[in-house]
Amino acid sequence: MMIGLAAWATRGRGAPALDEPAARRLLAEEFPDRTVEALWLAADGKGAVAKSVDLALVLARMGDGYMARKLAWSEAAATPVRDGRLRLALREPGAPRAILTFAAWPPKDLPA
Amino acid sequence: MKLPTDPVTLATPFFILSVILEVVLARFGKLKAHYETKDTAVSLVMGLFSTLSSLPIAGLSFAAAIWCYHHRAFTIPMTAVWAWVAVFLLEDLTYYVFHRLSHERRVWWAAHVNHHSSQHYNLSTALRQTWTGGVAFTWALWLPLSLLGFPPAMVAIEKGISLVYQYWIHTEAIGRMPGWFEAVFNTPSHHRVHHARNPRYLDRNYAGILIVWDRLFGTFQPELDEEAPRYGLVHNLGTFNVLRVAFHEWIGIGQDLLRQPRHALGWLFGPPGWSPDGSRDTSTSLKAQWTARQAQAELKAKQDAV
Repeated sequence: MMIGLAAWATRGRGAPALDEPAARRLLAEEFPDRTVEALWLAADGKGAVAKSVDLALVLARMGDGYMARKLAWSEAAATPVRDGRLRLALREPGAPRAILTFAAWPPKDLPA
Repeated sequence: MKLPTDPVTLATPFFILSVILEVVLARFGKLKAHYETKDTAVSLVMGLFSTLSSLPIAGLSFAAAIWCYHHRAFTIPMTAVWAWVAVFLLEDLTYYVFHRLSHERRVWWAAHVNHHSSQHYNLSTALRQTWTGGVAFTWALWLPLSLLGFPPAMVAIEKGISLVYQYWIHTEAIGRMPGWFEAVFNTPSHHRVHHARNPRYLDRNYAGILIVWDRLFGTFQPELDEEAPRYGLVHNLGTFNVLRVAFHEWIGIGQDLLRQPRHALGWLFGPPGWSPDGSRDTSTSLKAQWTARQAQAELKAKQDAV
């Protein structure tokens, strides 16, 4: 009953789709020492991947918040898209993977 | 052990009603509270099974308390007012030590981390309790009170009172309490700091009821208007699976022990985030990085002004 109540209370108040300024703000909060070279937003606005030198900085929607992780760019870039989903293996018991909606991956507009 | 006057049992209807009230009033914009369906579900399930999961170890902890009481140094009467004042102070100090250990040593953090795993801060967060506190043996910290001569029932009642007190401070609906109250007691404001993941706020305000312990032992941090707390873990969870919420840090410890057993002491009793090569972040390293960034920003501001 209480879970239903919480669902009712939050109905119509979902988190807005992530846009570039919001993604950059979140990345700056989560990775204050990293510089974002390029940023790609998930098609459904529920996440983003940024390139920062040799790292991929990942944001993935969790409820109405986000979780952030980093992994090797080479590993992220080598992950294939299946059924429109990019499943990045994070290999943590508390965050096994980040699933993001991308039509194609890796991006073609990579910074030099 | 469930006492006939167990404060937590007595307060349970109040817990349920107050969560409902907070949700409804927040929905109509009457108070500040943010709820999210899956997050609330995890908190409630964690709370529900927390009680059940403590049962297997309850017999052992009760027997240990009885054994200690049989070997007590003094006989302290449950009917004396001074005895209740004394147990209140000593239990609250014990809670401070327990809570600080639960944040600063990984094996105990593994049992406590789930309480901090919500990115929200509302009354349901208070119910997001551990499933593994019993096996972490943190209950042993209260045994000296029985050895001293406080009846185990008295200690259990006081622990219950502390738990009930700490329920109401899990809210954003209350801003600041009166100054004298903020100076002496743990409050929603102080505890918001404790649940925050901002580097400035990490590992602060461990108090149960009296915030004076943090002021005495140098772990106090007031909530600052210019820095709103961001709630959750340094690395927020990427799942709402309650089993992962409950056990992820234990699994992480297990993986680290299997990979590098010769560093077992560090993996178990080092601070959360400790690693032999320093490749992971601890609260101390995160605070140091934050302090360095602040200093750099101040220097740049001064240079720009010149």
